[in-house]
Amino acid sequence: MSANSHETNVRCSCEAAKNFVDWYYRQVNDCKSISPGYVNGHSAYDKAGHPPADICINGLVVATPQEWEKLLEQQRQAPKQPDPNKRRVRYEVEGFDAHVINADYRFGAPQKMLDLHSTTDGVRMMMTVVVSGTVYFGTGRNKADDYWEKQTFHDRFILVPNWDVLERPGTKHGRKYLIISHNYRAN
Amino acid sequence: MAPPTGPRASRGNRQNPRGTRGGGIGKRRGTSRTDRDGDVSMDTSSAANPPTGPSAHSTRGNRGSRGGRGGRVSARLAQNVRNYVSEQDGTTRGGKAQYNKVTLKIHGLKDSKAAGNSDGGLRSLLEFLERKASKERPIILGRGVIRGDHVWLKVNQADAPNLLHLNGFTYAGAPLTIEETSDPIPGQNGRSTDGPEPNPSETKEKLLAVLSSRYNVEQKLLDLSALGADQTLFSMGAFESKALAEKSFKALMRLTATHYDNPAEKEAGIQAVTIANNDIHDVYEVFALAYTLPHLRRLDLSGNQLQDMSKISKWRHEFRRLEELHAAGNPVANLPTYATQMIEWFPSLQVLDGRRVRTPEEAAEAFKSWFPTPLPRLPSNLRDGGNNVASTFLSGFFVTYDHDRISLARQFYDEDSAFSLHTKAEPASSGYDNFSRNLETIGVRGSPIQQRLFNGSNLIAELWAQLPATRHPSLDLADEWQVDCHTFPSLADPSGQGLAMGLAITVYSRFEEVDPTRQLPGTRQFSRSFILGPSKPGAPHPYRVISDELALQAWVPQQAPAAAVQAPTVAPNVAPNAAPVPTVPVAAQPPVLDDTVRAQMIEELCRQTGMTPEYSRLCLAGEADWNFDLALRSFQEKRADLPPEAFVSAA
Repeated sequence: MSANSHETNVRCSCEAAKNFVDWYYRQVNDCKSISPGYVNGHSAYDKAGHPPADICINGLVVATPQEWEKLLEQQRQAPKQPDPNKRRVRYEVEGFDAHVINADYRFGAPQKMLDLHSTTDGVRMMMTVVVSGTVYFGTGRNKADDYWEKQTFHDRFILVPNWDVLERPGTKHGRKYLIISHNYRAN
Repeated sequence: MAPPTGPRASRGNRQNPRGTRGGGIGKRRGTSRTDRDGDVSMDTSSAANPPTGPSAHSTRGNRGSRGGRGGRVSARLAQNVRNYVSEQDGTTRGGKAQYNKVTLKIHGLKDSKAAGNSDGGLRSLLEFLERKASKERPIILGRGVIRGDHVWLKVNQADAPNLLHLNGFTYAGAPLTIEETSDPIPGQNGRSTDGPEPNPSETKEKLLAVLSSRYNVEQKLLDLSALGADQTLFSMGAFESKALAEKSFKALMRLTATHYDNPAEKEAGIQAVTIANNDIHDVYEVFALAYTLPHLRRLDLSGNQLQDMSKISKWRHEFRRLEELHAAGNPVANLPTYATQMIEWFPSLQVLDGRRVRTPEEAAEAFKSWFPTPLPRLPSNLRDGGNNVASTFLSGFFVTYDHDRISLARQFYDEDSAFSLHTKAEPASSGYDNFSRNLETIGVRGSPIQQRLFNGSNLIAELWAQLPATRHPSLDLADEWQVDCHTFPSLADPSGQGLAMGLAITVYSRFEEVDPTRQLPGTRQFSRSFILGPSKPGAPHPYRVISDELALQAWVPQQAPAAAVQAPTVAPNVAPNAAPVPTVPVAAQPPVLDDTVRAQMIEELCRQTGMTPEYSRLCLAGEADWNFDLALRSFQEKRADLPPEAFVSAA
């Protein structure tokens, strides 16, 4: 059995996934920026020449996280709607799951991290996170609010360690894992 | 020296026997203390000082809203609400016994000077009674009603003696007779509420009958025109007065709404409504229509009395999906601004009084500014590095998954592969519940996160054997599938040396599945995410599945074909081992072919025809159905029509 399914890695990946999912959808629902969650612009990856994150939204390839934010903004547009409780787009997560796909991730890793963490430490993990739920259009902030339209959505992320943050234990700012691939479909 | 006895001391105990209004108000305010909640701590002076005599223009304004005495008001309001509620109970459900209430019958108001007041003097009479009765403790009266020569009033049992004591008092020049009675309070039209009152469920059934007789299934039209002329409604007296008509309309709307289980059904069931010829002066009278059927497509308002724009303006933020509106026969339709205003108010409006005013595209554009709009959906986005790995893998994968899961696990999965599935919380239990690794519901700390992660081809095959049988649509039906994939770097190479490229595939589609407990055919939407990476040496394929995550939507029972509904036949004795979904005609499945065989066929076709592998695959997977000879023949037939990029040499 590979290190991918090592107990510590499984536990840490689930916790990291929960952390990530909580953060991501909170940001989206509050109309806040999600681009810091993508690998683009993070120094350790930029220096090592990592390609920008692959973002595919409903079959459309989006070049940067900022463009994806623009699409989210476009989705929220309802300039004529006078009622703020009919203006929002709200994502509700109903299920998610995570797998470790490379427990020995080393791209762009500082030597210190390679020395410090073995493949079963639950740190140097590349993982996939799949999320499913419902997106409500023309609704308010709360769960019970009326809505105009709803769709089911699926997100699939591939996450990699954010060396900039993991390198300094106790850092309070920044995401521990970054998105290198994001696939979104809403039907 | 005597102790100071300032105004403060005397104020507290001061009685005001004359009960004059005016200067006393400020002082009373000082004594009526309220606590933080607005409740009153009342002393005698505060309750015993209301002004005397009936007054047509009472300086106190409405009963229950006396200025400057917030605490008292709230207590009074609360009492009024209690009285009102119990009184309502008493009048509408006459038979209900109220043990703590006594009915009083008061005669004499008609003869008094106050009878000329706008409310017949009722308010001032009640104020007078309250005032006179509140000698020992404050007494607050509820709402009385005037029926004939009498005022009927329900009071608390404890208050009754104080009020009966006032029998014979003179009120505004007329002597009052107050007596206790056990008679029920008569109804509005002199009818006793104890009489044969219409049974609510009977009324409901009558209204439902009206609704169903006015519903047109084919047109999905609810015809509520000329309701006043409806025999059933007329006999029920539902349209006797304007107020009653509005209430009856609300009741009809409420019944319409509760008739459907969910908004989507309602939306599909009723797409058009006509409320023509109903003598409507303002849409406010039928406003309930807007929140009962917010997604209405067609509406007929013609033949009503809508005078100008302001009579429709209350609907200006409603009916966002209204495509067709008829308002001819209303004065408003003759106004010059009518058309432009309607177009502005109803963004989806395309046909106004039979005239086309917008194209569907223009309507869609106008609608966008009212609600957030979902992002457009594009078809599959395949970026699998030019080798068609994803299409080759998938075309074999789902067919084999439906027929031979064990061999599938052996072909593409090894001891490092991981599989898990997750479902949403479902009302009915499914064959997946015990394996669902939904971290949202099972949490991220318990042992299930380990137990429900299946590692290695053996465990995966074992699990798959326990899952319900499925049938996926053919991958050639492009509309049924959304497949997105792309390559990504930095997977571990199985040789242990360096990094390898991976392929991330995400598939969205649905499959047919028979509900295991009820043997009902149904469908389930799913999304499945694969991570493919290079295989270890000696594996049957150059790539393997590293991770396979299956997300399942709720199971939906399959709609039986319409013909079967119209002609119910005797259930055939289907053998239990028959095809899992016998009612639905499914295109003949192609024989299960190994991917390697298919790859060879593609290669051979490329060689013989000079087409690119992609076109060769399309040619084989199309009508030819992986019959090589048929594919070759169809190529020869269609050769002239093929674009240059179909051929390798053309590049």
